[in-house]
Amino acid sequence: MLTKDLLRVSRRGGSYRPEFIGRESRPLAAKLIGTYQGHVGEKRGTLEEAVDAIEREEADFKLVRGFAALLDREGDFETVAPLPPERARRVAFEAAEAVGVASDDERERAIAQAADDLAVKPDDIESSLYADRDCNQELAAFDSRWEPDSLIEQYNLSLAQTALFDATEVRLKSDDPRALVTAVKRLGLMYEIEQPDAETGTEGALADQRTVVVTGPDRLFRRTRRYGTAFARLLRSVAATSEWELTATVEDHGTEREMTLRAGDVSVPGVDPVAEPSYDSGVESDFAARFEALDLDWDLQREPDLLETGASVMIPDFAFDYRYADFRVYFEVMGFWTPEYVEKKLGQLANVEDVELIVAVDESLGVGEEIAARDHRAIPYSGTVRVKDVVDVLREYEDDLVADATADLPAKIRPDGDVTTMKSVAEEYGVSVDAIKDREFPDHERLGQLLVRPAVLSTIAEELSTGMSLTETESVLDDYDLTDTSAVLSAVGYRVAWDGLSGGTLEERETQADE
Amino acid sequence: MTITLGFEDGTLRIESDRESDPDLDSLPGVEVDPRSSTARAPAHHYAAIRDVLRAVDADVDDAVHDTGPVSLATSYELREYQQDALDAWLDSNRRGVLELPTGAGKTVIALAAMAACDEPTLVVVPTIDLLEQWQRELETEFDAPIGRLGGGEQRVEAVTVATYDSAYLRADELGDKFGLVVFDEVHHLGAEGYQDIARLLAAPDRLGLTATFERPDGAHETVAELVGSRVYSIDTDELAGDHLAPYEIRRIEVELTPEERAEYDEVQGTFVDYVRSSNINFTSGSDYLQLVKRSGNDPQAREALLAKQRAREIMMNADNKRRQLGRILDRHREDRIIVFTAHTELVYDLSERFLIPAITNETGASERREILERFREGAYSRIITANVLDEGVDVPDANVGVVLSGSGSEREFTQRLGRILRPKDDGGRAILYELVSSETAEERVAQRRR
Repeated sequence: MLTKDLLRVSRRGGSYRPEFIGRESRPLAAKLIGTYQGHVGEKRGTLEEAVDAIEREEADFKLVRGFAALLDREGDFETVAPLPPERARRVAFEAAEAVGVASDDERERAIAQAADDLAVKPDDIESSLYADRDCNQELAAFDSRWEPDSLIEQYNLSLAQTALFDATEVRLKSDDPRALVTAVKRLGLMYEIEQPDAETGTEGALADQRTVVVTGPDRLFRRTRRYGTAFARLLRSVAATSEWELTATVEDHGTEREMTLRAGDVSVPGVDPVAEPSYDSGVESDFAARFEALDLDWDLQREPDLLETGASVMIPDFAFDYRYADFRVYFEVMGFWTPEYVEKKLGQLANVEDVELIVAVDESLGVGEEIAARDHRAIPYSGTVRVKDVVDVLREYEDDLVADATADLPAKIRPDGDVTTMKSVAEEYGVSVDAIKDREFPDHERLGQLLVRPAVLSTIAEELSTGMSLTETESVLDDYDLTDTSAVLSAVGYRVAWDGLSGGTLEERETQADE
Repeated sequence: MTITLGFEDGTLRIESDRESDPDLDSLPGVEVDPRSSTARAPAHHYAAIRDVLRAVDADVDDAVHDTGPVSLATSYELREYQQDALDAWLDSNRRGVLELPTGAGKTVIALAAMAACDEPTLVVVPTIDLLEQWQRELETEFDAPIGRLGGGEQRVEAVTVATYDSAYLRADELGDKFGLVVFDEVHHLGAEGYQDIARLLAAPDRLGLTATFERPDGAHETVAELVGSRVYSIDTDELAGDHLAPYEIRRIEVELTPEERAEYDEVQGTFVDYVRSSNINFTSGSDYLQLVKRSGNDPQAREALLAKQRAREIMMNADNKRRQLGRILDRHREDRIIVFTAHTELVYDLSERFLIPAITNETGASERREILERFREGAYSRIITANVLDEGVDVPDANVGVVLSGSGSEREFTQRLGRILRPKDDGGRAILYELVSSETAEERVAQRRR
């Protein structure tokens, strides 16, 4: 954070945006780092004059000062004097009191007497008198964390934090909502969750995330900048996640302005954003691994987003997103903890907003019925959550989803291509294969997962003949993108007479095989 | 029905266990808070809410304050006007501001108010020096540990003194600890940030002390809202003769040296040239702000600003002022002298030149305490300071004041005068010297405040 007088913002076109810097500022950053390094052993006053000189050469003195403010914190400034200055002063003032100093001569006498009292040279008194003032301290060491690039990174972060000093409200999204809510609470702030449909325009990793509106307790009664420093600290936590967006309402000399910051604007030097949240129990990580090993029509999301529950939020452990529809089922694993934990969880489940939620509950808790009474699906488990139990519940949702999808499909489907697959037809309609499996395909013949026009099959039948090698046969079928060799051969009345493990030749199917 | 009142981070959290209760948001200052699904109010409405609930005889579980009463007694005998002031405050439901000139014994009245209330009390003061002074007074007067927030210490006790800055930073956390809050130099509470202190404290009893209640910016109206209106006022003339020493002002004009004059003219010229070429005409203070604003990205404006600052430095630091100060020190060898100047660098320059103990915002708490103590005892007869002693700090028996380079604000001037308005042992008149550079903008500043 910088002091507010060093804030640089652009208000172009009514916007409010910190004037972030980039590589073009490397020479200036390097010059200032060099200036500090070059002044080790010199007085702060001398160093400041050097910085002032740079300031006068540069177009933007606030940028120079901002860099200097960050570098100042990296230096060790020490008092260097022959005597402890406070002692030297006291003795000199006492001597002056005795002499009565109103002229240079009297001053000289007082100094001489003070030196006498301490058995030192008059010069030692003179050079010690105010050696402990900030401006007279020496830069003893300068071991900076910053290289030019990281100084620029730190500057941008500090600048954005400084802009937040005047914020009255902050709206946030992050791909790690748990970290967000934890930081908000730690800073003594309050939050509300905004439903996603109220939001427009966000894309990518944050599209599913709900907006967390962060304010301070007193914000209810008036726009206050009191929580600005807390917002600035919050930014540091937020900027350490990999995807985030922050929109602040800033009180700018009586005008309200909006400032938006994103992951690309600022980052925290030396901190790699943690993309994958860690699991808080073995039961959860074990479940995730086993579920992902199955190739289902559901995508598993880890700590997906925030659900409102009364005046608080809960963050379910998982969500399952159905691939063929905008449908999400939340999944919470409720382990055995303490009675308070169970109580809190049940409270959350009772108040949570209207979403589909499956709760896996440790049998020993004996609360399955209570959960069912709160309109959620309860899956009892003991030790580990059985994936099959969850898949069974998902299947039920899936049946409904398939039924819904099917209702919108035509009874007869006529794909364009001569050869296609069930999968690509399903994708074309944005449904699962299950949804089209009972449809009619009047223009095509269905061979397993393949759909082939009869004309293609006739052509192929003409190209094939008894005694053709398997290799030749496959190259013919490849020309038509037909992968399921045995199904196609069967459809055109051939089969493979196997010769050893890999080779073989075509022969006509016997009539009774068709019966 | 039970209505629960609790304190939460500078606000009151209000809940009721039955839906049939009257609307909580009809109580003074109360609003519905969707974030916590409760009702909530700024903490300063506590007294009003409590009174309404009492009036309707509601069943209230009041958990706002987590402290009990304390026992405070004072041995001071109040002068008549001090007793009048205290009574006026007690009669106004223990809320309101007392306006009394510097030196009229505001601290004594506050001590008596604290003893009358017998409640945990927070005293809020503007400077480190006042913090030290109040702490000393309270420790002497009350047989209790005194907490302190500010000047490098953060210790909370049933009776605590805090600077405005510390109180601002910690108000949301301390708001339930005190039943009475005393704002010394209460006009500071008009500043936007400091208002939070009064807003976020739940303390029902509030006492404000000041020498000048009304502010040109109207901020005293906010103070009245948060602390109470002015309930007692007495001015210097009514007290002079009785309780305050008379004083005399001697104004001394100092010429710039030829070198100073030449440099002054040059930098002043740079400034004036810029002003002529720009659209700023400096008829008001906001024009100066305009220049400061422009200097952020306009190098010429920046140059002009630096030139103006240099010009001011020259006239404030004029070498002849140093010589003139030497003459005054020579003339008053038997007197007790306080020198004021607005510039820290000038303070240190003069401190080194005349070996006078200096107090500025750079001076550490222990050395500051030591210097004031020694001045009080008479071990030092001279002291130099940069504004930090401006308000209400007791510096007993100083009879000569020297002001170098005043800033022209009326408040500063009267309060600086107040600094030496102390009865002298031998009844002699106090003298205030004002040193100004002649034929410069500074002279106009000095004239304006007459």
